Amino acid sequence: MIELSGLTVVYGRTRALDSVTLTLHDGVTGLFGPNGAGKSTLLRVLAGLLRPTAGRVTYDGAELSATDESFRARVGYAGHAPGLYGRLTVRENLELFARLHGAPAANVDDVLARLGLEGLAATRVHELSAGFTRRAAVARALVHEPDLLLLDEPYANLDDDAAELLSETVVAWRQPGRCAVIATHGAKRVKAFADASLILKRGTPVSYRRRVEAGTGG
Amino acid sequence: MKASFAAKTLALARKDLVLEWRGRDTLPPMLAFSLAVTLLLAFTLPDPGSLAAPAAVPFGTVALADVLAGFLWVTVLFAGLIGFARTFEAERADGALDALLLAPLDRAGLFASKALANLAYLIAVEAFLLPLFALLFGLDLGAGWLALLAVVALADVGLTSLGTLFAALAAQTRSRELMLPLLALPALVPVVIAATELTSDLFLGLPFSALVGRGWFGLLGFAALLSALAGALTFEFALD
Repeated sequence: MIELSGLTVVYGRTRALDSVTLTLHDGVTGLFGPNGAGKSTLLRVLAGLLRPTAGRVTYDGAELSATDESFRARVGYAGHAPGLYGRLTVRENLELFARLHGAPAANVDDVLARLGLEGLAATRVHELSAGFTRRAAVARALVHEPDLLLLDEPYANLDDDAAELLSETVVAWRQPGRCAVIATHGAKRVKAFADASLILKRGTPVSYRRRVEAGTGG
Repeated sequence: MKASFAAKTLALARKDLVLEWRGRDTLPPMLAFSLAVTLLLAFTLPDPGSLAAPAAVPFGTVALADVLAGFLWVTVLFAGLIGFARTFEAERADGALDALLLAPLDRAGLFASKALANLAYLIAVEAFLLPLFALLFGLDLGAGWLALLAVVALADVGLTSLGTLFAALAAQTRSRELMLPLLALPALVPVVIAATELTSDLFLGLPFSALVGRGWFGLLGFAALLSALAGALTFEFALD
């Protein structure tokens, strides 16, 4: 469970997040909103990659700290950039990040299979299409079986089949005690399996609905 | 399965070396620069009949050995800066820095991995440069080669530690190629001066035992130790 309290991020004169206070429960939360709503900024704060200007974030009751190695071990983040080394193969990238996270080597084959990348394991990342690069980036975020999964526009450049595969992968990853936030413009895809949806507009939440509350307009 | 600090550090250093092997975009420019400067020197310096022979400099005369030692280390320094400037190039070009920073590896480990890769490049440059200097300038150190290797080892630790640390700082700026020399040179100069003094003595035939007793050797050792510690302890703030 993630609790945000007065979370504010200011870039120069722009308030990317403006005193956001809410609780994100375990399960998958779809994060929606127009361009510039603050979705990517929120994900970067949750990953510990961006220090907020004001406010605090707690994850499972503990103050979020990017300097805490045990917190970093629990986070899987795929941002706009793929975060993969172009001159390494898909497998080499995944093996590297699995090793850095102390994850079993068997996880590499597992995520390759789940995301339909087995046939491209020996291909260097810079030779992949944009869609396959996106899939490989998600595989990298998942390879150490994180408890907190943060995906920024994971459906970008994916065809329908690949998008379906990605959704199935996230659903298979979902377990009690795990929390995912998926920022996307493709709200329909994520709403199909998300446990909650959060809509941001100009750095402020305008709606947060959990699936159980959806019928009551909560 | 929990990988140790050393295993993670070595995995990252190996990754950098594999990337360099496949891309060859750091070491070749460093070697090309070293070759160009050395050839230029070979054509401009007076015929090295004796390394103790006086050579005119703006404020008087010094032994030719001093001039050669100075040029050797200045060449290593600037070749090193070419390499240091590319320390985070793979992460920047591939957008992999976020993924790297999220790995549960102590920042000292990240520093050590980057410094190890930079050290490997610097050693490669020196392995090319030292025989070239010996060939072109008639250096015959005899047993002094081992002493020179000790000086090179200490200087390399100092240069790569500081170079890697300042590369992380410069990487946060837009004009990183300009910022790196501006930030790093003042800190690197003491290492280069100490290494130059010691190398000059070796070129003049002083035995290693005489060198160890000199203040420059202690200074170089202290600078190497301090640089490595400073890099490991402050890398986190440089990346922040």
